[in-house]
Amino acid sequence: MGALLELQGLGKRYGAVDALHDVTLSVSAGTVHCVLGENGAGKSTLCNLVNGGVRATTGSMAVREEAYTPGSPADALRRGVAMVHQHFSLIPTMTVQQNLQLVRRTGLRERLDRIADEFGLTVDTGRRVADLPVGARQKVEIVKALVPDPDLVLLDEPTGVLDVAEIDALIGTCQAIAGSGRAVVLVTHKLGEVSRVADAATVLRHGTVVGGGRLSEVPVPRLLSLMLGRDAAEIDADTAGAVGLTPAPRARFVPSASPSVPETTLTARNVPPASPSDPGTTPTARNVPSASPSDPATTLTARNVPSVPPADPATTLTARNVRSGASDASGPTTGPALSVRGLAVHHTDGTAALDAADLDLRAGEITGIAGVEGNGQSELVRVLSGALRPSAGSVRLGDADITSATPAVRTRLGLGVVPEDRHHEAMVGELSVAENLFLGDLARFRRRGLVQRAAMDAAATRVIEEYAIRAAGPRAEMRSLSGGNQQKVVLARELAIDGLSVLVAAQPTRGLDVGAVASVLARLREAADRGVAVLVVSSEVGELLTVCDRILVSYRGRLLGPVDAADPTAADRVGSLMTGTAA
Amino acid sequence: MSRLLHPAAVAALAVAAALIVGLLLAGLAGADPLTTVSALVEGMLGTPYAIGESLNGVAVLMLVAAGFVIAYRAGLVNVGGEGQLCAGGIAATAIGTGLPAGTPAFVALPAVLVAAAAAGFAWAAVPAALRAWRGTSEIITTLLLNFVGLALVTLMVHEEGLLRQPVTSSETLPQSAPLVEGAHLPELGLSRSPATVGIVVAVVALVAVGILLRHTGTGLRLTALGHAPEAAARLGVPVARTRFLALGGAGAFAGVAGGMLVATAPYVLAEGFTSGYGFSGLVVGLLARGSMTALAAVAVLLGFLVSGGINLQLVAGVPATTVSIVESLIILFIAGSAAWAARRRAALRAPAPRPAATQAETVGAER
Repeated sequence: MGALLELQGLGKRYGAVDALHDVTLSVSAGTVHCVLGENGAGKSTLCNLVNGGVRATTGSMAVREEAYTPGSPADALRRGVAMVHQHFSLIPTMTVQQNLQLVRRTGLRERLDRIADEFGLTVDTGRRVADLPVGARQKVEIVKALVPDPDLVLLDEPTGVLDVAEIDALIGTCQAIAGSGRAVVLVTHKLGEVSRVADAATVLRHGTVVGGGRLSEVPVPRLLSLMLGRDAAEIDADTAGAVGLTPAPRARFVPSASPSVPETTLTARNVPPASPSDPGTTPTARNVPSASPSDPATTLTARNVPSVPPADPATTLTARNVRSGASDASGPTTGPALSVRGLAVHHTDGTAALDAADLDLRAGEITGIAGVEGNGQSELVRVLSGALRPSAGSVRLGDADITSATPAVRTRLGLGVVPEDRHHEAMVGELSVAENLFLGDLARFRRRGLVQRAAMDAAATRVIEEYAIRAAGPRAEMRSLSGGNQQKVVLARELAIDGLSVLVAAQPTRGLDVGAVASVLARLREAADRGVAVLVVSSEVGELLTVCDRILVSYRGRLLGPVDAADPTAADRVGSLMTGTAA
Repeated sequence: MSRLLHPAAVAALAVAAALIVGLLLAGLAGADPLTTVSALVEGMLGTPYAIGESLNGVAVLMLVAAGFVIAYRAGLVNVGGEGQLCAGGIAATAIGTGLPAGTPAFVALPAVLVAAAAAGFAWAAVPAALRAWRGTSEIITTLLLNFVGLALVTLMVHEEGLLRQPVTSSETLPQSAPLVEGAHLPELGLSRSPATVGIVVAVVALVAVGILLRHTGTGLRLTALGHAPEAAARLGVPVARTRFLALGGAGAFAGVAGGMLVATAPYVLAEGFTSGYGFSGLVVGLLARGSMTALAAVAVLLGFLVSGGINLQLVAGVPATTVSIVESLIILFIAGSAAWAARRRAALRAPAPRPAATQAETVGAER
């Protein structure tokens, strides 16, 4: 049985970054082969390599045992490799027919009839793409890929936008395509679907293959642990080091897995906070007790009794009073610091990004939201920050309804936000560090209508020192800083909000190096310890397990859970909720 | 190499190249280069009168450009200078011809200029509101309103019921009656020079805009809004209102410039009184790239070129439009070379390509 597609030691470098390295896999004709991995595992890069979108830096590919080096998607198509993109590539203002004619002009009718016969796929050619529901559009995409009669169909995250019935149909289609002697490569992070359709699977993690095989030999739970990288035996030391924080929960939750792991973990996590000004020691301290139960006190205060205002009740009270003073004079509140009820957000095509989501944040507690990207967590943050109006539901900050408040009002009421898209929403790259820090608080530095630069720079210098931000000075352009230092600036600014009662941080550690990650997480914990209700949205489960008290999982626009982060099975439960394999 | 890429050097080269093309065009029109150059220089600097005329033009350019820069800071492109000049001119004329003949200058002049500013603001307020609250492209709407403004001037000066001077014979020109004495912009008093205090007003306005943009919270907020609207919103900048006021402000500056045009000899509103200053002002604002010094320099250059162009036609028989062509070429060359230089600089700085969002994610996961 010859392999239809073979990858041999395939790698792709972007500058100094290995997006993909040493990927070897083989796809047999007549099978559905799943490529699994979390966001950023290198799945999309792999697709682009096979589809001819980018050229490999190392390694080789072969189609039907002949060397294959596609220079473009058209080239790939000539060799029988078609791709269905994650983001639709149809032209919405044209009809289905017109879209398909872009692929094939003559004999289209006959070809569509054959596709209908062979795979049971029929499309309404007369309708405008824009008028079709998402599921139907997806079908048109697949038909479009099948029109040139390819041997291999690559599907990049095809189920992200589909509902259950549509996924069933898609799975049927995949099986039909494979049944006709062709092969399907299904790139996904939704394990639940894999178990139903795949013949074989390959798991990518941080750009390289960490395992896989025929599904009859590798059970789904095994794939899950490979994908989330919790199994120390499968990951080499380099990768573990690069992950930085993921070994920590592993040490905690699978303490028997390998006795050497906790050692490594602690070292890795202790290095960055070594500088005395950097309070990165907090998460370390919080992890130590769980790894070695010598100091249960810390754990108890901070984690296991989350609803009690921890550490410093005085601070908590102050923060509370400021907030309620600003919103309503009805005295201190006892309810949640922030509560979300029945929140819904709809995309322009009518699909729901968020669907009846409920959320309560309590003072002094860190709540995490895990989830594969595109499950509504970004929209949730945008609603909370005031960048997006929900189509239904309400958001209350303490006593104030802020569902439709402007960002400025939210800030005044004590809501800090570290947005997900740092470069667009959190900072102005062309302005200086000082200006980015104080843009929302210029009144402090105003004298006779003019901004006193010297005073502003002095204040910024203090922040730069306090947060150990590496910048050429307060006047350095924000965009000249590294991602980690930019994030520290953003965090410093949000934490400095007067009467801060709730802090929402979306993907706060994305793109940061290990040291910066530890420092950012430490700041979040510190904020919670002084009575702020913290919400962390992240796709790094290990990180959430480290820093959060409880974790919710955002899945298809709903918030599932909560999972208690201290529970030994938390990682598994979060993982199965994320991938839709929960019972 | 890197010195050649300095923005000022790029601009100077672009101007030189455009001038050379202009000379070639003049040559095609049958004028030898020497005559062309001497006619141009004569028209620009040859007499106190020429210099005075040029300075008045420079003042108008500076005002339009200063307004343009304010809106541009906020990420808005005001292409509506012409229309706003028209609105300002019409309002100034309405007030300036309506006042009693003996109105003292300290009343009449401010009244005329304030009316002009208000009219310019109101004219720009339409596209500004559409942009701020409806997201309509201000480039399109301000541009189209230019034609409405120009047509409105034509209507005003042709209808006796509106602003046309009393028709006494078939020779009566379609223009307004002259503004009352008190509404005339005072001349600087240089001998045989028509230069008015307009240039002083313009320089003061430039300095004020410079301070506003560089040293006030408003300036910072405008800059933040222009570069990253989402981040600006997050930091409490009232996005819609700031956009509205920025574009409206640009209109007010152009409106004042229009008022100054009719408050300068011959003190009447007539068709074509804007002489394309609205577009030239946009060019000045674009080329200055945020620097007020550069703005003043470019305004002087273009202002004198335009005046010189008129002499070009009179003396050398070269169409004055040649100057317009040169002006357009300067924009094209500068825009083109600026883009090229930016790419070169980027290439010199970082040899590695930086594409793809997926890469950013990968970076995140890798580290």
